[in-house]
Order: sequence, then structure tokens, then C-alpha cells
Amino acid sequence: MVIKGIFLRILKRQLFYLDPVLVTQLVLSLLMMTIFLLAPIAMVLLISLNYNPLDIFMDPTYVNLYPKGSPITMRTITFRNREFTLIKITGVSFGIILNSLINSFIVTICASIFGTVIAFLMARYDFPGKIIMRILAMTPLLMTPFINVFVIRKIFDWKDGILSWIIGDVLRLPFRIGIEDLAGVTITQIMTFFPIIYLNVYSSMINIDPSMEEQAENLGARGFRLFRTVTLPLSLPGLAAGAAIVFIFSLEDVAAPIVFNEKRFMSYHILERFLEATTGQLSPVAATLSIILLALALVTFIGIKKYVTLKQYAMLSRGGRWTPRVKKLGIRGIIVVYLLILPLLLFAAFPQIGVFIYAIAEEWTGPLPHGFTLKNMVKIVEDPLVSRAITNSLSYSALAIILIIVIGLSSSYFISRAKIPITDLLDVLVTSPIALPGLVIAVGYFYFFSSVFRGTPLDPITFGPSLLLPLAYSVRRLPFTARAVFAGLQQVHVALEEASLNLGAGRLRTLVSIVIPLIGLNILSGALISFVYCMSETSVGITIGGLKGVGEEHQAPISFIMMDYLRRVEGPHIVASLGVLLITIQLSVITLVNIVFKQRYAYIGV
Amino acid sequence: MTRVALRKVSKKFGEVVAVDKASIEVDHGEFFTLLGPSGCGKTTTLRIVAGFEIPDEGSVFFDDEDVTFKKPYERGCAMVFQNYALWPHMTVYDNVAYGLKIRKVPKEEVRKRVKEVLDLVGLTGLEDRYPLQLSGGQQQRVALARALVIEPKVLLLDEPLSNLDAKLRLRMREEIKKLQKDLNITTIYVTHDQEEAMSISDRIAIMNRGRIIQIGRPNEIYMNPRNLFVATFIGRSTALKGYVEHVHGKTVKMRINEKLAITGKLAEDYKLNIGEEAIAIMHPEDFSLDMKRGANVIEGRVELTMFLGPFLHLRINIGDQSLIAYIDPDYEVRLGSKIRLAISEEDVIVFPTKEWEEIETV
Repeated sequence: MVIKGIFLRILKRQLFYLDPVLVTQLVLSLLMMTIFLLAPIAMVLLISLNYNPLDIFMDPTYVNLYPKGSPITMRTITFRNREFTLIKITGVSFGIILNSLINSFIVTICASIFGTVIAFLMARYDFPGKIIMRILAMTPLLMTPFINVFVIRKIFDWKDGILSWIIGDVLRLPFRIGIEDLAGVTITQIMTFFPIIYLNVYSSMINIDPSMEEQAENLGARGFRLFRTVTLPLSLPGLAAGAAIVFIFSLEDVAAPIVFNEKRFMSYHILERFLEATTGQLSPVAATLSIILLALALVTFIGIKKYVTLKQYAMLSRGGRWTPRVKKLGIRGIIVVYLLILPLLLFAAFPQIGVFIYAIAEEWTGPLPHGFTLKNMVKIVEDPLVSRAITNSLSYSALAIILIIVIGLSSSYFISRAKIPITDLLDVLVTSPIALPGLVIAVGYFYFFSSVFRGTPLDPITFGPSLLLPLAYSVRRLPFTARAVFAGLQQVHVALEEASLNLGAGRLRTLVSIVIPLIGLNILSGALISFVYCMSETSVGITIGGLKGVGEEHQAPISFIMMDYLRRVEGPHIVASLGVLLITIQLSVITLVNIVFKQRYAYIGV
Repeated sequence: MTRVALRKVSKKFGEVVAVDKASIEVDHGEFFTLLGPSGCGKTTTLRIVAGFEIPDEGSVFFDDEDVTFKKPYERGCAMVFQNYALWPHMTVYDNVAYGLKIRKVPKEEVRKRVKEVLDLVGLTGLEDRYPLQLSGGQQQRVALARALVIEPKVLLLDEPLSNLDAKLRLRMREEIKKLQKDLNITTIYVTHDQEEAMSISDRIAIMNRGRIIQIGRPNEIYMNPRNLFVATFIGRSTALKGYVEHVHGKTVKMRINEKLAITGKLAEDYKLNIGEEAIAIMHPEDFSLDMKRGANVIEGRVELTMFLGPFLHLRINIGDQSLIAYIDPDYEVRLGSKIRLAISEEDVIVFPTKEWEEIETV
């Protein structure tokens, strides 16, 4: 009896903190995440069990510890009637799985070093031209599926590449340099992903209480020692968060391997299986590789998240806001910045600039573009396949955003206000899609919805992807809105809601008349960021999105058409024009979020 | 008018015991204060009354109704939060009218009642302002008006004056007390400021480490502290350590040092034996410069003087310990000079030393 009484009381207490609104929010969020995230992934896991993973690890196609060839080769060639030493950087292949891993490690380390240097420079020093350099440093974040890689390839092509043209034809040196294959993918990813590190570390650094560094200086530390002993350790959470995301993004990136035609990566391998799958069959190798990809991403994500929470130093200072320490850069520093950092940043931002050039150039087969035309810009409206892809993407994204707002608001509100143990689980569920490779989700959707939901509008093989894509987008891009809402909720003192409950308003009324008006801007800016990411979504778009082909009534989104057009005659110019469209959307949103809403652009991190 | 009762209420947060078997009864129209140092559990107790926290054990009653598991919005009590919790996106009028709109009060009446309550708290004319356009004192009044306008069964005030400057605090204190008496609302008030508690309350509950130590009228608590915690927490009392030399009924003679012995009365409910360690508690205002017959006479050296207006605050060294005394500000005292003070036996309360460790509940 006593035990029953105690149990009843505990139950009553738990239930007290729930009300119909919170329960609805919980059920809705859990349902969405279970059907559209957990179940498909579980299905991949099930199918991969049919395939002995050892077979994959023993197969030299996947794991090869004794690679042939040399990562760099040099030979003398005669090219266009002149003699050159051709330096080719290609990398060597250790098999598909190891290639992916090694590549991601190198990318993460290089991006971390470069990103941290830029972050330190921007966070601690003032110098002429800083604003322009900050913009340059963020430019690679503008998402232009495939076409930015196309430009990078244009730089490093040994025949008609810009680099070899400058060295061999402009400077008349007897060298030509080509970066290709595995190495091409690596350099592309470093150039594309370092801003993620930069933004995360920068944000860590400007949040360091200046008195921490002042105290160290006061005790005699300065220069590099100050950086090594105080600044860097205090920025490590930002660095770790950024590095984890870079590692995961690099693992799942398909654009660079596709453009460099480098099939010896896990991501490309999964994609290839997919392109054969329009018949309704998907090779189980795709499932096994997906699970490996997923395991790597999850271990990284969970490990880093744990580390970051542990190291989240609470700054002990009192008295509220401070201005970060910014010093004027000395003349020697300025020289280094202009001679070294600026060219590197320009170089990293060049692909995005090149996308514009490609879009308006009449022809760009040689090292330099020729002619000026707007016909490619017009074509993205006139070409029925392309314009349809744009409408598709717009409607998928709009649909996804409605779902994202509902689920993002529900889950974040529940997580920040409900006082029951399940909140942690929901938090992980809602934020994890940021770390889940899109390809894994795509493979999962394929298996799950074409079997369990066979014949329903959710079945991608019979009915096509038009219903599944918005759902996949909403799950994948949910973290951006969920976080923005959560951040907003943390700034709304609970007392504001309690005052309303206390005066007799129910939960729903409180939510509508107090909470939503107070966090409206957070919801809107989060939703806009999510929208941008939906519009340029790649991994699910180029896999699930293409299951109905590219006929007149096709259901494919922009990214699929970009991949498809890349191989067509004059296609790259149209792809570049689509890239310009995407950049325009992204820039407008960023400007809106920054200037109108006065909120910092939601950067990518754990 | 409502009577509020907490019966053996306990609440833990993880391993931390916030409220430990607290029982209080607040009468119709009574101004009841929970007083204690920060972290003593007074705000949690208040939030349990409001329904924001559910006790792990025990029950809450409004009159004869058990409201322990009632939602905050079903309880009909109104709370004034420490940070006021004014909604920044609503005007003063909308903030105050909110509770009435929820109760579906007709529009005309809402207007009338908001006007009345704003008159009452002296904010007429500021209806269209937003909270950020108001001063701290004005914000405080809006919060109060918002709570009062719904004519709550119980008014809950969580350190409502702590964000105001000293002068405004005194004025608002008087106003709150007057409003409460005029409206005759059962009120529970939380504060850590003992002077505020003394001046405003009908009765006070002293809390420490989640427990209720003593409940009583302000003068009762001041004159007859139940134990050392209350005795040292209330007022600026001096505690002198020593040994019991002689016990006769309720009178105890204590040896403080070679030169000084003090006679006082034994605290209620305690026993002391000869040779036992004890502590003598004295209020600073009970010292006098007149050497009355039968009073304790204490001689010491002046260590510190502070002019506080109505009196002179002295710290006097008596060997290895010091005491605080308030004396007539006209009296001239030089730092380092010798001084003789008298305090009657009635004004010295003696507690056993082991009391420092043990603090009993009511």
C-alpha cells in the first residue's frame, strides 16, 4: 500500500508537469522523428546485416593497405610545342573506406589550422580591409552544389587550368601543375569547409572574457605563449565543434568526388548504387557502406558533443557585457596579412566568384573565360526542365519549412520547459540530423518507404519523390530552426510564462500570447536559414530526387538537375546560373537575418 | 479571503533538499513573511504555493481544499515576481488587463477595473507605455497592479523590492502594507531582508536550510528567539562566547574572560550545566551609558565608530572578543579610548554553544 502510494505520487508529480499542449508537442515531435528518421535508419541497419561486413573489409576495393603508385608524379612532356615538367598531385588509393577516412582526417586538420589562424586574426586584431577579408573568409560557405568544385577543377587542371596557365604560359616557367583525383577532392574540401572552423572558433574567441587574457598578460604571458596557454584552450570547444562538423561533411560530401570523377570514396560509391536503383532495387553494399558512414559520423558527433559540454567553461566574470579585446595590427603583421592571408582567402573564395563568371561567360574551355552573355541566366527560366526543378525545390522547401516550424517550435518548447526525463532524448533526436549523412537518410528512405509504404504516396518508386523530399528536407534541416527557437526560449525568462499561468491562462494561451510573440524573430530567422539549406539540399536531392528520372513532368529538385546538366553540352553554364540563383537567395536571407532581425547568422556547429 | 496551509511539505532538487517538512498556516487577510538567508528554500516554498513546483511530500491547502496537484492557472492566486516578469511586448494596460481577459470579463469592466487598479498604485496615465519605458519603481507597481486586478485569493510576493533603490524600497514597503490592509488579501511575502520582514509582516516564518525554524509576530521573534540561528540572524546582535559559572533557575552567570562575567537569562527550552560552553546574545540598542543597579557592566576599548544618524554605532574590544553597541549620537567617543557600558540581565539571552550545530524545526 505504501509503495503503491509513493508510486502514485511520483506518477502524479510527473504528470503534473505535462498538460495537453506539452503532450501534443512531445507526441508530434517523437512521431515525426521516429517515422522519418529512426525507422528508415533502422531499416538500413537491418538490411546491412544481410551482408557480412568482413567481406567488405577483406575486399581490396574497400580496404587496401598496400597501395600502388605515388601520390605525386613528375615527368617531362611536350605540350603545345613546348617542353614542360609536369607535376601531378593525385594521392594514392587505400581502398574506398580508407580513402574516405584519410581524406576526412587531412581535410579536418588542414581546415582547423587555417580556420583557427583566420579566426584569431579576425577576433583579436584590427587592420585596414578587415571587413572585406571577413566577407571573403565566409564566401566559401555559400552553397553552390557541384559548380564551385567545377571551378576548382578549372584552377588545377594541368592543360587548361588557371594555375598551369599562370606558371607555364604567363610566367613562361617550364612547369605545369595538375591536382587531380583523390588530391583534388581533398583540396576542394579544405577550401570549402575551413570557414566552418573559422566561424566556430571566432565565436568562441569573442566570447572569452577579456579579463582572462588580461590576467595572463598581467602575469607576464604575451604573444604566442598567451595564445597557446589561454586563448586557444578557451576556444577549444569551438574548434572541436567545428572540426567535428567538417569531418562529417567531408565524409558525406558527394559533389567533389563527382566533379573530380573520383569514384574511390564511400559517398560516391553509395550514390552510384543509387543511380542504378531506378529499377526498384538497391544493392545491399549501399546499406553496409551507409552504416559505416553513419557509425563514423555518430561517434564523432557524440564524442565531440560530450567533450564540448564538458569543456564549456563558464566565464566567471560579473557585470554583464564586455567588448572583446581587439588590438591594432603592427606593420609587420599587416605585411603578412596582405602577402599571405589575403591571397589565400581570395583563392578560397574564387570558386564562388568563378560561379558568377561561368554563368555570364559565353565560353570557358581554355584558362580564361570569353564573351559576355545573359542567355544562360534566361535559360534557367526558359528551359522547362530547369524551371520545373526550381518550382519543385521552392514548393518542397516551402512545405518543409511549415513542418520545420511546427516541429521545431514543439520540440524546442518541450525541451526547454517540460521537467521530465525524456527531454534529453528528444534533444538528441532533434539536433542529430545535423550530423547524419544525407546519403544514409536517402538510402534509409529508399528501403523503408518503398517497402513498408509500398503503393502509398510516400512510396518513391511508384509515386516519385515529391512527398518524400519535403519530409526528408524537414528532418535534415530541422536543427537550424530548433536551435534558433531554443536560443530564443532561453532568453525568455520562465517567469514571463509563469506570470501568465499564474494569472489563469492555460498553456496554449500562454504559448500563443506570450511565448510566440517574444520569440517570433527567432522562429522566423531559424526558418529562413532552414529554407536556404532546403533549397540547396544535395545528398537526398540527387539520390531520392532522381528516382522518377528527368522527363517533362519530373519531380527532381535543383540539385539533381545541376548534377544532370553538368555533363551536358553547355550544361555547366546553366548549372552556374542556378548557382548564382542559389547564392542570391542565400545572400538575401543572410542580409535579412543580420540586418533586419539583428541576429547573428546561425553558424554550423555541434 | 482564503486561509493557506502547508502540511509537512518537502521538495528536493536532485540531491539538494530545498524544503524540508515545512508546515505553515496563514490566516485570512494575514500578511505572512518567509524570511531567511539566500538558498534557505523560501522561494521554493512560495512557488509550491503558486503551483509552479509540486512537493515530493506533504500537501497544500487553500481553506479546506487540497490544491497540491492543481495547476497554477487553477489556483486563483497572483504572484509578483522578483524580476516583475512584465511582458515586454505588451503595454502597461495589456499587461494589467491580461488576467481579466483570460477570465472573460466584459470589455467595459476590464477597462474600469484596470483604471481603478492603476489609480490605486498611482500609475494613471501610463497605460500606453511599454515596460521598458518605465522606471524600476513604476515597473514594480505594474507587476503589483497586474496581480491585484484579478482580486486573487492569495497574493504572493517574491522579494518584490529587492531591485529598487533604498529610498524607493522604503516607500513601496509602506504602500504594499497599506494596500494589503485596505484590500484585506491573504499575502505571503518572501524576503531575505530582516528589517523589511519585521516592518511589514503580521507574522514571520524564519527559514534555514529548507526548514522552518520559528514562526511568530515580529516582536516575539526579536525578543524571544527560539535558538541561536534566529538570535544571530535577526538584528545586529553580538554573540559572546564563554563558560557557565553559575546557574540559578533561569538565571545564568557566564565567564567571558578573566575580567568579565555576564549574567543573563537562559533561553527557553534549554538547559545548561556549570562549566559548559555557552553563548550570550545581546542586541546593540540594549546597551546604555547609565550604570543602573543590578545591570551587567562591561568595560572595553573603542575599536570603531560609525555615525548612523539616530545613534552612534560602536565596536568595542573586550579582550579577545568584540561587541556592537548603539549609543546616543551626542556622546563623544574617541577611537581607542576606554568605555563602560551597562546591559540589564533581562536583555542577555544565553544559549548552549552546541546549538551552533543543531538547528531544530518547529
